[in-house]
Formats: sequence, C-alpha cells, structure tokens
Amino acid sequence: MLVLRLIAGRVLVSLVTLWMVSVLVFGVLEILPGDVASRILGREATPERLAALRAELHLDDPAIERYGRWLGGILRGDLGTALTSQRPINDILAPRIANTLILSAAAFALYIPLSLLPAAIQALRRDRPVDHALSAVTLVFVSMPEFLLATLLLVVFVAYVPLFPAVSIVDAGTPFWEYARAIVLPAVTLAIVMAVYAVRMLRDNLIEVLDSDFVRMAELKGLSRARVLWRHALPNALVPTLNVTALNIAYLVGGVVVVEKVFSFPGFGSLLIDALQLRDLPLIEATVLISALVYIGANLLADVGAILLNPRLRGTA
Amino acid sequence: MSMVDAAPRAQGRIRRLWRRAPASLRIGGLILLAHIVVAATGPFWAPYDQAQLFTGPPLSPASWEHPFGVDQLGRDVFSRVVEGGHIVLLLSVSGTFLGLLIGAVLGLVSGYVGGWFDEVTMRVVESVISIPFLVLGLLAISAAGPDWSGSPLLVVLVVALIYAPRIARMARAAALDIVTRDFVTIARLRGESVWSVVRRELLPNATGVLLVEFAVRAGYAPVLIGSLGFLGFGMRPPSPEWGLLISENRSLLVAAPITVVGPGLMLASLVIGLNLFTEGVARILGRSVQIAQR
Repeated sequence: MLVLRLIAGRVLVSLVTLWMVSVLVFGVLEILPGDVASRILGREATPERLAALRAELHLDDPAIERYGRWLGGILRGDLGTALTSQRPINDILAPRIANTLILSAAAFALYIPLSLLPAAIQALRRDRPVDHALSAVTLVFVSMPEFLLATLLLVVFVAYVPLFPAVSIVDAGTPFWEYARAIVLPAVTLAIVMAVYAVRMLRDNLIEVLDSDFVRMAELKGLSRARVLWRHALPNALVPTLNVTALNIAYLVGGVVVVEKVFSFPGFGSLLIDALQLRDLPLIEATVLISALVYIGANLLADVGAILLNPRLRGTA
Repeated sequence: MSMVDAAPRAQGRIRRLWRRAPASLRIGGLILLAHIVVAATGPFWAPYDQAQLFTGPPLSPASWEHPFGVDQLGRDVFSRVVEGGHIVLLLSVSGTFLGLLIGAVLGLVSGYVGGWFDEVTMRVVESVISIPFLVLGLLAISAAGPDWSGSPLLVVLVVALIYAPRIARMARAAALDIVTRDFVTIARLRGESVWSVVRRELLPNATGVLLVEFAVRAGYAPVLIGSLGFLGFGMRPPSPEWGLLISENRSLLVAAPITVVGPGLMLASLVIGLNLFTEGVARILGRSVQIAQR
C-alpha cells in the first residue's frame, strides 16, 4: 500500500503543479498590466482593430470568467481557436505533434547506442588514452549549444557532403524515403545532445559497478568479459541512468524548439515559435501548457520509476 | 620581515596554489582569462569597427585581413565577434547574479521559515520550473511586448527569471540541512529576526553550494542568451551578440561557412572554459557537480 500511496501523492502534486502552470501562463499573458489587445497588435493597432480583437478575445469580461471558460474548454479537450488562422487549435496541433513524436522516436533510437557504446568503452578502458579522449569529446558536445551543433551539422552534411536536405519541410504527402532523409539531421542533433549527458553519468556508474564484488565474482567464475559487461554490470548501472533518460524526455520539449527551427521541421517546437512570433495568444497558451504537461509527465515518470525500483519499498505494494 | 621579500613570497604562494590546482581548473581558467581579456580589450584593437560596412567583398572566406570572413553586408565577422564578447559576458554574469540573488533569498528564507510560506513558495517555484526553460524565456519575452524587444535589460531579467527558481530549490535544500544545527536554534532563541538569521547564520554556511550553483548557471548562460538571440527573441540586430551573429550568417553557410564556424568556436570555447573552471572549483570545494545543467 505504501508504494501506491507514494505514487498517488506524486500524481496529485503533479496535477496541482500543472494547474498552477495554467494559472501562471494565463496570468502572464492575459492579466499582466497593460492592454492585451494593443500588445498583440503592436504597431498595427487602430481603434477599430483593437475593438474587434477585444470582442473576439472577450477581453471586456472579468479575467476570472475568461480563465474559467478557457480551463473548462481544456478539460473538455477543446483548446480553442487560433487567432491568426481561425482554425481550431486541436486541428493545427495534431499533425505537428505527430511529426515531433516521430522525430523524438528517431532521436531516442539513436540516443541508446550513442550513450551505451562510448560509456562501455570508457569504463572498460578506464584512465587510458581512449577514455580521456572520449571524455574530452563529450565535454565539447556538452558545451555546445543545440543551435550551434545543428548549424555545424548543416555545414558538413549540406555544404561539403551533400547527403541530406538543408530544410526538413515535410507534410502528410511526403514519401517515406524523403521523410526519413529529412528527419536524420534533426534527430542526430537531438540524440547527441541527450547522449552526452547520459554518457558522462553511465561511465561513472559502470566503473562503480565493475569494481563491485558481484562483478569480480562473475569474472572469477570465468565468464567472458563481454558477458560480464552486458549481462551483469550494465543492467545495474542502468538504473540511475533511467532518471537521466526521463529528464532527457523533459529536455526534448525545449530542445525541439531550437532544433526544429534550425531545420524548418514542421513540428510542435516550430509551431510554438510561430505562435510566439505571431503573438497568437490562444495558440501560445495551448503550446506552452502542453510543453509543461510533457515536462511534468516525464518528471513524474522518473519519480514513479525511482519508487518502483527502490528495493527498500519492495513487497510493500 | 622587510617589505622587499613580500612580493616574491606572494608570487611563490600563487605558483604553489597553481601547481596544486586540478588540471580542469588550470585549463578552464586560462580559456576563461583569454575570453575576458579579449572581451575587455577587443573594442580597442578590433581590425574594423564592428558595424562598418564594405570592409571587403561580401561573403569572403577566411583570410589574413578577415580571419572569420566577411558577412552579407560586408562587415568583418572577426571584429564583430571580438566586440560582441563583452556583451555576452556582461549579460551572462549579470543575469546569473540577479537570479542567484533572488533565488538564494527566496530559497533560504523559505527553508528557514517553513510552514505555509514555504509550501506556497515552493509550489510556485515548481510550477515555473516545469515550463521548459527556453519556452519560459520566450514566453516572458513575448509577454513583455514589442516595446521591450531587443533590450539588454530584458535579456538579463529573463536569465534571472529562468535561474531564480532553480537556484531557490537548491538554496532551500541547503537551508533545510543547516537549520537543524544548534547555532541556528541558538540564534532563533536569542530572538533574532528572520532576515538576520538568514543573512548571518544560513548564508555563510550555504556559500559553497551557492558558489558552485552560480558557476554552473553562469556556464550555461551564454548558451541561453545565444539561443534567444538565434531564435530572434534576444538581442536584436545590429547587436554583435554571438547567437544572433550565427543566426544572421546561417544563410551564408554554403558560400562562407567560416562566418558561422568562427563565432561558433568562440561561443563553444567560452562555455568549455566555464565548464572546466566550474568542475575545478567544485573539486576544490569537495563537491561533485553535473556541468552545464539544462
């Protein structure tokens, strides 16, 4: 029962946090001092357009009422209507989210070998030149902003070795092969950024596990080095890395914003930037809330994972 | 002891400290020092004025006159990078410092006072943290409206807004650890005010944590500011901020890649230097640190 209670508690806290984010986002965008309509229109404001926009956003209603209507819509699964395109936000979001999910899946598929292999090599060749070299390489990549890494990949694979397209514009009609080609560079960028964090952590964990008694025991039994590493050491070193992986999912929500923008990939991240640039209030609110939802969900997953994997709580469920 | 041997003696001490410092601190310190020197003196020796047009044929590749090439408008990219250094450093340090100030006060007071104040503060802090930091920055900038567009003050405030809740969480954890000790109880029983206990008992004991936290965050700030500039939400043209420079020259990628690679190398080396330096400082303070936290 203890485990269930702990998990229920975490879920409740996550829901409260999500609700507070909705208050925060709505408050920052619609209640902050200053006229919302003139902030949206900027230099294009005329008295008629201001009045029309105020009517459209119901800005003359009390803020609490507008918030209630907005939240009620969300709870019914209706995110509202975009200001600029006048289309339902649900319809705008669906293909963008699908694209980003495919991109993230590709990035994760690359992320796993990109984090496991270097960490395993480093742990087995501890303090040898190859370990130091890989440490230096991961330090360089950790220190490199996504937009820089993405731009450098563009230089190499578009200007010098023209393998991939410079812009990854895809839509529902794009043939599979073209889609796959377009997704490679953004996926590689995201995978590298996520992997370097995991590598640094996994290397240290692996070394710790390789020094432990049960690994020495396995070695003394005469098992092959490969078997010791993959069957005995790695599974034990992976547990702390699960946390990093959950945090990497949380990172992805912000990471896709930059990477999709660099490659003009029509996903969730570039939609968020477009919404901000167009000052499309309902669309901004929807996209920011969804990114917070993913972030909170990933952290919840990490916490629940830690609770379930905690041996001290085993058998109490 | 005469005044005469004082100088060489001090020199010997510095040399000994230097030799004993971790390699990461020495390498990172040198990279950082080079960046600070370039940023501070660059505007005086840059070969061209950063805004000067037609310094050479547009889109020129690297050459002795133009190490980082020439951009679309004929501006010398090397001069722009060199003159942009102090912008990147000043914005990063002041934004991080403001975030540290707000975060430390909020976290320490919250941890010491406890109760509903702590509960409410921490729920707000958690909800701000759960908006991905770049999204939070972009949201704040767009909420500020077009009048603030490209203002360095806005960039500093946004960096502080992103860092303050994260630092507050860290400071609160440190405070919860410190308040259990006797000297805090004694100070409270003496009838000292909250502010006085936080300032005179908690703060001195949390300095190590806060110092490392400051260094880690400052190490990521150039990336943050660069990302904002790159996306068109941070500094505005014609500012030579590095992220903005990289974004502007992206269209010249095929013709003159050096106009992107040059500023990119400067930005990456600055962050590498900051990260190594932080790792070294953390090692001296006996703390492990996850560098370049996102």
